[in-house]
Amino acid sequence: MSAAALGAAQSGLASCTTCGLLSRPAAPGQLGHCPRCGAALTARHHHSVQFTWALVIAAAILYVPANALPVLTTTTLGSSESDTIISGVVYLYQSGSWPLALIVLVASVMIPLGKLVALAYLLITVQRRSAKNSHDRARLYRLVEFIGRWSMLDVFVDAFIVALVQLEPLMSVAPGSGVVFFMAVVVLTMFAAHSFDPRLIWNPDNLGRHPHG
Amino acid sequence: MAEPRDDAELPQAIVVAPKRHRLSIVWIIPILAALVAIGIAVQRIRSEGPTITIVFKAAEGIEPGKTLIKYKDVNIGQVKAVQLTEDFSKVEVTAKITKRAAGLMVDDAKFWVVRPTISLSGISGLNTLLSGNYIGFEAGASENEQSDFIGLDAAPFVAGQLGREFVLKADDLGSLSPGSPVYYRRLPVGEVVAYDLAPDGKSVEIKIFVNAPYDKFVSTGTRFWKASGIDVIADANGVSIRTESLVALLVGGLAFDDPPFTPEKTRAPPNTVFTFYNDRASAMRTPDAVTHRYVLHFNESVRGLSVGAPVTFLGLPAGEVTGIGLAFDEATANIRPAVTIAFYPERLVSYATPSDRSDVGPLLKDDEKRRRAFLQRLVDERGLRGQLRSGSLLTGQLYVAFDYFPQATKARINWNRAMPTLPVVSSSLVELEAKVTNILDKIDKLPIEALGGAVKKDLEDLDVVLASANKLIKNVDTELVPTLKTDLEALQHALGSVERTLENADATLLGPNAPAQQELRDALTEFTRAARSVRVLIDYLERHPESPIRGKSDTMSGGR
Repeated sequence: MSAAALGAAQSGLASCTTCGLLSRPAAPGQLGHCPRCGAALTARHHHSVQFTWALVIAAAILYVPANALPVLTTTTLGSSESDTIISGVVYLYQSGSWPLALIVLVASVMIPLGKLVALAYLLITVQRRSAKNSHDRARLYRLVEFIGRWSMLDVFVDAFIVALVQLEPLMSVAPGSGVVFFMAVVVLTMFAAHSFDPRLIWNPDNLGRHPHG
Repeated sequence: MAEPRDDAELPQAIVVAPKRHRLSIVWIIPILAALVAIGIAVQRIRSEGPTITIVFKAAEGIEPGKTLIKYKDVNIGQVKAVQLTEDFSKVEVTAKITKRAAGLMVDDAKFWVVRPTISLSGISGLNTLLSGNYIGFEAGASENEQSDFIGLDAAPFVAGQLGREFVLKADDLGSLSPGSPVYYRRLPVGEVVAYDLAPDGKSVEIKIFVNAPYDKFVSTGTRFWKASGIDVIADANGVSIRTESLVALLVGGLAFDDPPFTPEKTRAPPNTVFTFYNDRASAMRTPDAVTHRYVLHFNESVRGLSVGAPVTFLGLPAGEVTGIGLAFDEATANIRPAVTIAFYPERLVSYATPSDRSDVGPLLKDDEKRRRAFLQRLVDERGLRGQLRSGSLLTGQLYVAFDYFPQATKARINWNRAMPTLPVVSSSLVELEAKVTNILDKIDKLPIEALGGAVKKDLEDLDVVLASANKLIKNVDTELVPTLKTDLEALQHALGSVERTLENADATLLGPNAPAQQELRDALTEFTRAARSVRVLIDYLERHPESPIRGKSDTMSGGR
């Protein structure tokens, strides 16, 4: 094992996840707060896995209504049409613009799903105390974190269209309830990604072992 | 372990009392998410209305996910799928009905496609021009839930309107169409809602709707008739033209009224089936309760005779032709037209004078025995016979007339058959034809060939005579002419001597110096003188008529 592999936790120290300051624990078995920025010091995030699991599961549950409920209701001259994300993709594909369909499919369906799967995968590997592919898993985690902020694109477009297209009585667009759930999924996955402690990828031994536990 | 280092420089962490909880509160989030999701699912399932299928003839303007089902202009559902039926003949529309409208999906609910319709009687469904077609709905009265419906071709009459629907049974549709007006005393009181062929295909069922205040005039005895366009009827009664109104003229319509004889006026219940008459006259005809049927075996063509043609009795309409067929008689090797007629004795009764009526009634219709005897007597003593007559020279339609033909040959009515046969005489036209034929026959029968033979023989005889004449002439030529020549020469001789005698006479009588002429001239001169004296005398006498009595006066003397 190289020096790089040696973590703060192993050496009995704690690094602040907010400002990065390495400090000694306040008392044996109690890390305390960061003397510089005041953030709580943790060897590993509190219940990181549990937290992440909870959020991932919540996101997974909400993923169903997000896709089943319409995100957009278009009313054109008295006839209204409700579109879910998938039906929008299908519509785009059928109307010939398959690149757009692909973008929407990837951005709105695949990525949230991928995030959930990726987080679940990370959690499972951590819980199994797997040491394999640590680098790859770290990269995956970074990807998940990075992508999270772009997932609200749909919600943004939805809000944008609803605000713009209000041509009563010719045409009007109203947001569907699906968009709320979609947003919830995105937010929850972002929280999940955040609450996941990537340090566990490297030494899952600390899992569930709390200094004060 | 890590290498030892000087930790003294590092600050001491501070202690915060830890919160102790084994299961993180964060699990509330997935629980909440699950609750919300379940709640939505439950609400969805609970608000889920029934899914129904409607079969239409064509999916004109119906789009899945777009087309709505509207009842009183309120959305009660949406089309989810449009598919062909299994036999590809129709279109099956699957639609989701809202929970609240679920109760409306009963047996007799009606669906139809609302599309813009422009007809002479109005414009409807204009809003669909913008919003696209939708499926109209009309609630039914049934209690039985139903999920498979058959869509109507056209909108039923405006839903919710007060009034009653009736069914008319017609032979054909004429020029009616949904929306055609229904008239009562020329007042538009309703319209044709729909029409369909009767299940057996032998008639047309026309559904009409009569609006509320007027529907009470439709009684069980009401008659409906066609007021479609112009009815030009050319039948044995002549040509008649009739129309109800200008709109009816253009789009067709129908009218109804109670016939004057309707005994009781009970309001007809909805969907009562009425017979639809072709014209007012036939609609208003007295219902002929008593009908006697007879067969007439004509010995002539019945071309021009149609079912429904009138049957007259001494010129009064008394029945109608109900059937035209053929009667086969093997024994006499005869096929004749058999015309069945319906005889309505009540009409004859109605023609009778009021005083006779009570007596005629039973005679003609009630007392079977008397009727038969009476009819037989009419046939025997009066010579009552049926005859085909041309009703109108224009159309060549025939009708059956009953008249007296006293010279007709005797006939009997056979009452044993189901339909007694009444005797007939051939029509006047046929009689005329028969007479002409007779004459032609007679001409035909003349022994023209034999005559021809005789003439030929005569001509031959003549030929012989002429030949002998020829011979005679030749004889004359050879024998008579020479003698004649000598005779003529002798005659010439005689004439020559006559001429000489005459020349002598001329010399004595006519020559310039002939004494006879001289004397004659003198005599004439003398005669002229005498005539002149007479003229003078007469002149004088004219002027002096008294002179023969008084003598010549002096003054007047010296006249010449």
